[in-house]
Amino acid sequence: MKPFDNARRINNILHRDLGYFFAALIIAYSLSGIALNHVDDWNPDFIVTKKEINLDRGYAKNEITASSIERFSALAGEQSFRLYDFPSDRQVKIYYKNATMLLELGSGKGIYEQVSRRPLFYQVNVLHRNSVEWWKWVSDLFALMLIVITATGILMLRGRNGLPGRGKWLIAAGALPPLIALVMQQM
Amino acid sequence: MHESCRRPAYNRITPMRLPTHPVRYLLSLLLVALTACTESERRAEPSGDSPANRQKIAVLLINHGSRSSGWKRNLLELERRVAPRIRAIDGIDTLSTAFMEHAEPSISTALKALDRNGYSDIVVIPLFLSTGAHVFDDIPTIIGKKENPATLEQMRLEGIERYIPAARTHLAAPLDFSGLLASNVLRRAGTLSDDPSREGLVLVGYGSEPFQETWERTFEQTGRKACAEGGFAGFTTAWCGHVAHYSPDSTSAAIGRILKQHDRAIVIPLLVSFSERFQIDIIGRGVASVVETGKHVRYRPDAILPDPDLEAWIISTAGTLADGIRKKQLRK
Repeated sequence: MKPFDNARRINNILHRDLGYFFAALIIAYSLSGIALNHVDDWNPDFIVTKKEINLDRGYAKNEITASSIERFSALAGEQSFRLYDFPSDRQVKIYYKNATMLLELGSGKGIYEQVSRRPLFYQVNVLHRNSVEWWKWVSDLFALMLIVITATGILMLRGRNGLPGRGKWLIAAGALPPLIALVMQQM
Repeated sequence: MHESCRRPAYNRITPMRLPTHPVRYLLSLLLVALTACTESERRAEPSGDSPANRQKIAVLLINHGSRSSGWKRNLLELERRVAPRIRAIDGIDTLSTAFMEHAEPSISTALKALDRNGYSDIVVIPLFLSTGAHVFDDIPTIIGKKENPATLEQMRLEGIERYIPAARTHLAAPLDFSGLLASNVLRRAGTLSDDPSREGLVLVGYGSEPFQETWERTFEQTGRKACAEGGFAGFTTAWCGHVAHYSPDSTSAAIGRILKQHDRAIVIPLLVSFSERFQIDIIGRGVASVVETGKHVRYRPDAILPDPDLEAWIISTAGTLADGIRKKQLRK
């Protein structure tokens, strides 16, 4: 076996095994990437369930007591509350175990809000955001390995379908969209 | 979480036999090490002299925090400037600064340090412009005064630690309850203005989705007061935080509104401190995108700090709260 063939064999083994090893993480980061790209359009981490609340009438701040808070809470199906507080003279916020209610006292209208974790996306976002202290080092290693996987992928094939053939054109084509984006950003 | 850890009193002490098997020996060592770690993390209770019985007041200045070194530098400089005057207040003997996120010391780190030093009361002064989610929900949740479910989830996600101190905490109201924003705007706009009667102000703030009405009212009052006292022809507001999705468009649109009616727009970032992300990237790009910006727009990427009125507000707030704590203690 020629030394060049041996190097290619190691290259292909590296590409294959690193690809297997990091498959789960690549999918997790890709999913999270899509989720975080659209952070302005949705909450990628939490499902926020909102319910409109309409009180029987408008209230003044001095009318608010524990018993009136209990009555307001019942409108959202809450049997008890933890505490309530006034963000301003015209608003009251009520706190429950897994929810809150913000009421506009003057209009008697409000929003009851429940927060729960978005399944799968919450977990992959925890990884992508480096929410675990030591995870950033794993993340760094993963990023380096992605470069290795890409480099070994580029060098995998010889001939017409390899880098000397169609490979170089596809690499050039792949570099175009980010270059166009950068040029447009400068304009 | 905040209950004191009391060790059981043992009547008899039996001598500990060390295991002879190497694996068991290692496991025992590991167990001893883990026990030592958890013991060291437990709160040290001053023996027979609990914080409740001894009055010792600390002041903690809390701000949002930022990865920008400029942000941190401004806040630490503020602490340095007010510290002698704060310590001169009867009953207060220390002042420290904490960052809600992105910088150390975090709120929990600062509170733990104050607990270790046996403070009975902590006056918490939030350096935020208005009642937003941070002041109303996040900070009270971090220090154990509230349990906002959304905040608790977000804190877990962002790695912000919650710590309920042994000391009593007294949370002050944020800045908009004082009238210093208008004078701050006037002072900063004055250095950029040639002829106020032909210029309009663009006040750029962070904003807060759940409390936007309160923010708008604060900015409205600030703008009106600045125009009345400084002779500016008009004002408008723009947002650079949550509400504007961190986009420069709100700033450029606000400049556009001013330039439709006046010759020049003076852009004032109403942010507590300096951060490259906000003053340079978001607001700066908003300014740069305006046609003939050099001719029609005046902008300096500065912040509310440094401000002598803000220093005075901190001192008077700390004094008022400390006075209340002392009087309450005397009545007991």
